[in-house]
Amino acid sequence: MNTSSSNLDYTLVALADPTRRGILQRLSKGEARVTEIAAPFAISLNSVSKHIRILERARLVKRRRSGRDHFLSFNPKPLDETAAWIDSQRSVWKARLDALAESLAAEDRAAATMPNKRGRSQP
Amino acid sequence: MSTRTSAVARVSRTFAASPERVFDAWLDPEKVHLWWKASAAAAGRGATETVERIHIDAHQGGSFSFLVRRDGQLIDHTGTYLEIDRPRRLVFTWAPRAIASPDDVGPLPPVNPDSPDYSRVIIDIVPSSSGCEVTLSHEMHPGWKDFVDRAVNAWRIMLDAIDEPVSEVPAR
Repeated sequence: MNTSSSNLDYTLVALADPTRRGILQRLSKGEARVTEIAAPFAISLNSVSKHIRILERARLVKRRRSGRDHFLSFNPKPLDETAAWIDSQRSVWKARLDALAESLAAEDRAAATMPNKRGRSQP
Repeated sequence: MSTRTSAVARVSRTFAASPERVFDAWLDPEKVHLWWKASAAAAGRGATETVERIHIDAHQGGSFSFLVRRDGQLIDHTGTYLEIDRPRRLVFTWAPRAIASPDDVGPLPPVNPDSPDYSRVIIDIVPSSSGCEVTLSHEMHPGWKDFVDRAVNAWRIMLDAIDEPVSEVPAR
């Protein structure tokens, strides 16, 4: 994992739960009050608040206060960062396959330079 | 589907070697040691990364451990073989983790597929006239992938609605 591995961990933990994914789905359509978010889920407001805190920790959800209302909004930036990490994983695996190909080619080259070791006496 | 919204890192490559040679190179500790070192060197880490030990228990359900020291930190690349179908398909879980001491290496309990730490690598090898074609897919947590596809698309729809162009990354 890279230097922002704790951010990545927070993001992956946030996304690992179906209720939290449902909350993000809702927020990706637009801002909402905390109470509006809780409504569709058959769980207590307390539980929803815990989920929201995990989402905020991952910075996937931002909060703004307007008077007594708290409005939550979806922040996609951690997803961009996670996507970028996945792309970097691709580069890492590509490098490993390249190295594997080269090591097999090196074996072939070494075998090609040892043609007469068998069946001939050495001086 | 672009790689930007996918939780699968996929790469394909042709090899001049036979499927059997390529397949076996993943399960032979001496070979793994060689190409791992070579890939670290190619990434500029030749001086800062050493391979400490490669352990491979090459049967279904068996575990492996590629123990590496990088910038002084021990990192164990470990997992379990889920499928070994020589020479066509190799599937294993993949869980690199930093450890404090070489004694901390060892078979780990299987990672729950619902856990965010779960990832697996699938290697498909198809014979070709010149050798073989290898496709390696590194799959991250599956639940994440579904969400990213829907939510990022929803986000893009919102951006389109306010007339902001979103450039599409070509599918690979």
